[in-house]
Amino acid sequence: MLRFDRRLLLNFDWVLIVAVFVVALIGLANIYSSTHLYTKVGTPLYLRELTYYLMGAAVALLIVSIDYRVLLTLNYPLYIAMILLLLFALAFGKTIGGAQRWIDLGFFRLQPSEPAKLILVITLASYYYRKETGKGFTLLDLVVPALLTGVPFLLIAKQPDLGTGLLLGFIFASMTLFVKLRWTTLATLLCGGLSAIPIAWKFFLKPYQRQRVETFLNPENDPLGTGYHIIQSKIAVGSGLIFGKGFMQGTQGQLDFLPERHTDFAFSVWAEEWGFMGSVVLLLCYFFMILWGLNIAISARDKFGVLLAFGVVSLIFWQAFINLAMVMGLLPVVGVPLPLISYGGSSLLTNLAGLGLLMNIRMRRYMGTS
Amino acid sequence: MLKKRIDIAMALIIFSAALLLTRLWYLQIYRGDEYAKLSEINRIRIQEIAAPRGNILDRNGQPIITNRPRFNVVWSREDAPNPDAVIKDLARILNEDISVLLDRIRAGTENPRYMPTRLKEDIDWETLAAIENKHLSLPGVRIEVMPSRDYLYGDFASHFVGYLGEISPAELAQPRYAKYQSGDQVGKQGVEKIFEEYLKGEKGRNYLEVDVHGFEQRQMQLQDPYPGNDLQLTLDIELQRAAEEAMADKAGAVVVMEVNTGNLLVMCSTPPLHLQEFVGGISSTAWNKLLNNPLNPLLNKTIQGQYPPGSTFKIVTALAAISEGVITPDASFFCGGSLNFGNRRYGCWKKGGHGTVDFQRALIESCDVYFYSVGMRLGVDNIAKYATSLGMGRKSGIEIEHEKAGIIPSSAWKQQRYKQKWQDGETLSVAIGQGYVLTTPLQVCRMTAAVVNGGTLYRPQIVHSITAPDGKILKTFAPTSEGKILGSAHSLALIKEALVGVVNSPGGTAKVVKLPDVLIGGKTGTAQVVGLSHVEGMSEKNIPYKYRDHAWFTSFAPAEKPEIAVTVLVEHGQHGGSAAGPVARAVYKRYFELKSGISGTASEPPPLAKDEKEE
Repeated sequence: MLRFDRRLLLNFDWVLIVAVFVVALIGLANIYSSTHLYTKVGTPLYLRELTYYLMGAAVALLIVSIDYRVLLTLNYPLYIAMILLLLFALAFGKTIGGAQRWIDLGFFRLQPSEPAKLILVITLASYYYRKETGKGFTLLDLVVPALLTGVPFLLIAKQPDLGTGLLLGFIFASMTLFVKLRWTTLATLLCGGLSAIPIAWKFFLKPYQRQRVETFLNPENDPLGTGYHIIQSKIAVGSGLIFGKGFMQGTQGQLDFLPERHTDFAFSVWAEEWGFMGSVVLLLCYFFMILWGLNIAISARDKFGVLLAFGVVSLIFWQAFINLAMVMGLLPVVGVPLPLISYGGSSLLTNLAGLGLLMNIRMRRYMGTS
Repeated sequence: MLKKRIDIAMALIIFSAALLLTRLWYLQIYRGDEYAKLSEINRIRIQEIAAPRGNILDRNGQPIITNRPRFNVVWSREDAPNPDAVIKDLARILNEDISVLLDRIRAGTENPRYMPTRLKEDIDWETLAAIENKHLSLPGVRIEVMPSRDYLYGDFASHFVGYLGEISPAELAQPRYAKYQSGDQVGKQGVEKIFEEYLKGEKGRNYLEVDVHGFEQRQMQLQDPYPGNDLQLTLDIELQRAAEEAMADKAGAVVVMEVNTGNLLVMCSTPPLHLQEFVGGISSTAWNKLLNNPLNPLLNKTIQGQYPPGSTFKIVTALAAISEGVITPDASFFCGGSLNFGNRRYGCWKKGGHGTVDFQRALIESCDVYFYSVGMRLGVDNIAKYATSLGMGRKSGIEIEHEKAGIIPSSAWKQQRYKQKWQDGETLSVAIGQGYVLTTPLQVCRMTAAVVNGGTLYRPQIVHSITAPDGKILKTFAPTSEGKILGSAHSLALIKEALVGVVNSPGGTAKVVKLPDVLIGGKTGTAQVVGLSHVEGMSEKNIPYKYRDHAWFTSFAPAEKPEIAVTVLVEHGQHGGSAAGPVARAVYKRYFELKSGISGTASEPPPLAKDEKEE
């Protein structure tokens, strides 16, 4: 299992490392800018984020050193652990901002819904890897993976955290489409899904969630209430113009007009201070990293590697896309962080672990399947 | 197979990246300027700084109204970690009940946190010093400085200069006040209102960077306010004060006009307004007291008080009679104390009668019967023609607002007003300034000036010039003539001569006015307020105040070459000579003293009130 030979080191993926490193630097600088005015006692947030980065690097290193195929045996224990953590969070978790999401570990407040995303990727990759089908999945074949996704989805939606819940749905949809569905299955799912939307709107969404969507469609109707975040974020991004207002000079961010500026709206701070140029640089680095992940998927040595790499890529992509579209006013406000850029230990550790998995798959691409 | 799907995924990811980049371009470049502006609006708060208002000066450049800093105690929550103890301390220093301060703070909690709450306005120097000394132990307490009016001469010409007040919602809706904001001080009456545009100055602006809670971060730019322009009035402090002193215990009006320019030297209406009550907004109790005062202090009696002119109107009748040739100066009438006309008896004020009177004697002794006869010969429309030409029955065009026009009746007027034919008997009343005739003191003064200056009717002038703070004269006001009045020079000379006799000859009705060195001419008048039947048989002292006659005296001096016309009206003063005459005399006395260089010490402002002394 621990075959740390020369070939492994030779195949170390420097491209991925550099891409992640650049994005991480941008993220840290941005957190420094957006939080240096915070007068909270204790460690400055950018230093904490740096600590999480180092912890994440250690986790990634650990993951890299173990063949990812171990996950084929670890997947259900991981899944059960995740469900237990989510249940624990729901029962005893710390309530912040109206949602019960955190488990206080003393030195670290774990948000179990973050690792849940990655564990779902591992679970689905393992499941689809084992469940080989030639002609694509039927509706019946999807019952088990749908249940595997549905349980954590419900637990997270109950917190309530609609954004993360939806993200699980996106991961499930992406990976399922990737492994091929029968077109009849697809058609049935589409019809069923579309007809479920009004029902979900009426019975499933909480009033504040419905309001968020309504506000998104018409933010100017309620400029001081729920539309405030979208409007202020668009102002921050738009007022950056071509070259931005300068590092730590963004008025929207520094003067507190931008809410959640170091977490969900971190990109707005970046766009305001570095303008169109800086935003393009960040987006290019970011999407390069994502596309490189797909490249890793193509080159994986086995189908499990392909599925796993694709799952990790879809995890990072969907978070990034939802977050960026949200801060630019293209999607309603849902609490999805921007991987590596938004402040937050659980999210960072999860995403670095995912990137570790990518590296793991990359490094073992020429190894024989066992 | 999987490779193909990865390619699809890659295409989708590239497409979403392109979508996001397009959105970035749209926000940051296509609509960037718009958002940049919005972000500026977010972070910049513009604080307006009130400009010191222009000073108001008298004709010699003596300041009448200037500005002084007014110190308000304000409370800013954001700086107050321990409010209870501070408020307790502060209440003691301000000598104010703690509940009053707490009420104000409570009222202010509705406002954003950064907005200070005013705890007490216009504190005196001692309180200010006490707060400044202790300011380290009074966190959250600040002093706000605002310019406010300083009335150097108290209620000097109060109706004329007017007062300031906070701009009302109704005013804010007018285009004239487009640049104002609620809370601004604005001229509400008199000169302060009319010349608002010149006096107000330009507000300063303090551009502050604020955070989302409105807390100031730093000052970005400071534009100092630019003071308003100085207004030099035609009023003369000394004369105005002389008139006000003489009128101190009377309700009425004094108007003094330069006969050859129309410049008004005195515009006195009593009882005065207490201008200090209006600083920072008048209380409703004080306002109601003003409204209910029977002496009507809110009325500017010089231009708004309409009274029958009584015998002062005989000047008009006399001018019409000689000019129209209905009498000659030598023609005499016999006064037996009354005249019967129609089925009514028209009495002369002198019950025993004046005997045989000619034109001169009739004016000097103010014989009613003489003027009844003259009036009958003239007819009401002839009298109206001359009165109108002398500026009566219409507004003088003085810039002060709410001037009343008075009434000069004519047959056409009566037809229009009452749909009735004019009765000849009514002409008799009009000839002696009774009946329908109503005039303001300003009109009587202006008429007098026109008669004695050789026949030119001037528009009353109240402002001499307007000067910018840098000394540049922006505007001067030249005398404006409305042209010649009706009436021959000969008749004007005859009248002038007779008016001098009123003051100076035996039997004249205004001998009390006589000054040793100066020849004064004038005419007394007594205006009936109610029909004689109300007061029949009562001795003068028993007549209720409101039924007593108004006393008039209108005059000019020096007789040889008239310079000023002085008109005095004392409401319910009963006798023109004894009630109004001494007031005019006091004004002349001061005028000629000043002219001969005896200025005395009176040009110094009166001693200041205690809290203003240390300036």
